[in-house]
Amino acid sequence: MSSAFELNGVTCRFGDLVAIDEVSLSIAEGEQVAFIGPSGSGKTTLIRLLNTTAVPSDGSLSVLGDIIADQSVESLRVLRSRVGTMPQHLGLVENLTAIQNVILGRGGQRTTLRSIRDLIIPSRSDTEKIHQLLRRVGIEEKLFTMVSKLSGGQKQRVAIARALFQEPEILLADEPVSAVDPARARDSVRLLTELSGELGFTLCVSLHHLELAKEFFPRLIGLRQGRVVFDGAPDSLKDRELESLYELTADEMMTDA
Amino acid sequence: MAMNSTIGKWGRRRWIVLGIVILFLLCAKSLGLTPAGLVPPDETRWERAGAFFKAALSPAMDYQDENVPEDAPPIWLKGLYGLLLTLKFAFGGMSLAVPLALIMGFFGSSSWWPEPRGWFLDLFLRGIYFAFRFLMSLLRSIHELIWALLILSAFGLSPLAGMIALALPFSGTLGKVFSELIDEESRDAAAALKAIGHRPLQTFFVGTLPAALPNLITYSLYRFECALRSSAVLGFVGIETIGLYIELSHEEFYYNEVWTYFYLLLALIVLVDFWGAGVRARLNSHKGACEA
Repeated sequence: MSSAFELNGVTCRFGDLVAIDEVSLSIAEGEQVAFIGPSGSGKTTLIRLLNTTAVPSDGSLSVLGDIIADQSVESLRVLRSRVGTMPQHLGLVENLTAIQNVILGRGGQRTTLRSIRDLIIPSRSDTEKIHQLLRRVGIEEKLFTMVSKLSGGQKQRVAIARALFQEPEILLADEPVSAVDPARARDSVRLLTELSGELGFTLCVSLHHLELAKEFFPRLIGLRQGRVVFDGAPDSLKDRELESLYELTADEMMTDA
Repeated sequence: MAMNSTIGKWGRRRWIVLGIVILFLLCAKSLGLTPAGLVPPDETRWERAGAFFKAALSPAMDYQDENVPEDAPPIWLKGLYGLLLTLKFAFGGMSLAVPLALIMGFFGSSSWWPEPRGWFLDLFLRGIYFAFRFLMSLLRSIHELIWALLILSAFGLSPLAGMIALALPFSGTLGKVFSELIDEESRDAAAALKAIGHRPLQTFFVGTLPAALPNLITYSLYRFECALRSSAVLGFVGIETIGLYIELSHEEFYYNEVWTYFYLLLALIVLVDFWGAGVRARLNSHKGACEA
């Protein structure tokens, strides 16, 4: 199986801060991976490296077989249009409707003029497709509702639908459940892993919530101070490793988040 | 510690207030302002001021001028017609100013700049940015009355001259505020779109601009209220708005007529204010209410 991501000694510095410190790992296409670790461990930076909005200060990174350092600005942009990203704060345009937000998912594959037209008069086939997607994520009746009128959980569904409309080969989600209550968080993570299985895209999610990561993901990558300190299946994650990951007892960890 | 810094702040504020008072006294002295100057110098001035304010209680229901022809419309109808003209100028001026402001606001904003960019492109964009900021400053540093005088002397007394006189300074102010509202807009949505392959200009037009739109509309509505007042004032340089009627009645000392026009103008501004508040409430209903 070819690889979605290939990191070789990747370091990412912001001034004096080393956010990612000589990380080497490989993620195959179709894999479902959760990045775990305390705040400030480098999860968000790792996601930004993977979607190429941050560049490695050192080491080599390839995404979907393309070495990032060799790419022009335009080919990086095209590459990004094949990788979906759900940022932590979702990044929806609040005073546009759900359908307008979702249609922007495909903007990277369309021209600027086409995108502007999409906002004003969406094509019939796009509208039908988006209606189906919203039904799949459980908010079909919100098609023409302004995003600002939606609840936190519903907004998240819009962000998921936007990512799906993009038809990405990889979906990256940064703390997708940090803003919703536990029951909804579980539903959302389940939905993401189900969709990844159905549609076959690689799924990488950073999760503060360890229980959810253990329940839904076959592979966990633990980060601490920008280094990978654990990489494996959830049942091989020992309490001792958890402690070293969070420097808290495992019990405290379970009640965190 | 905390108390000390509070006292320090108070001390500094006291000096600032004192400084402002001294500055005011210096200005007053150099302008020859004395308390005695506030009192009208002779009896007729007193009488005139008294008559003017007394007329506020009895606005004219009929013309004070005895030479008005028999078939002239009643004064309230003339006033309403003046208001209509005032509205037309305000609306016309804003219709020219808003598109101009959008164009200038775009070039006076930095949120559509591509990233990364070479030094040459960076220098070029900064050049454009400062050129447009300068242009907008220039347009709004000259008051609409001055623009009106300049344009009237060039093109003569025409309705278009009045509209342009309004549009120029208003486009400068609108453009400056537009560019700032756009640049202050949260970059979350723009970053999210950029991360999935949107181009910089595309991100601006489908993300940043739609997100800023309610604020742009709200501000334009507020400026429309200002344009109404300015449009009335343009009457004083001869452009036919309600201001011209006020000026003509005032010249003849028909103070009751003046107050009739004043009250009509007030009613219009209050109406527009209510309407604007309604639109603003609807546009901004998503702020705060949504975090359920």
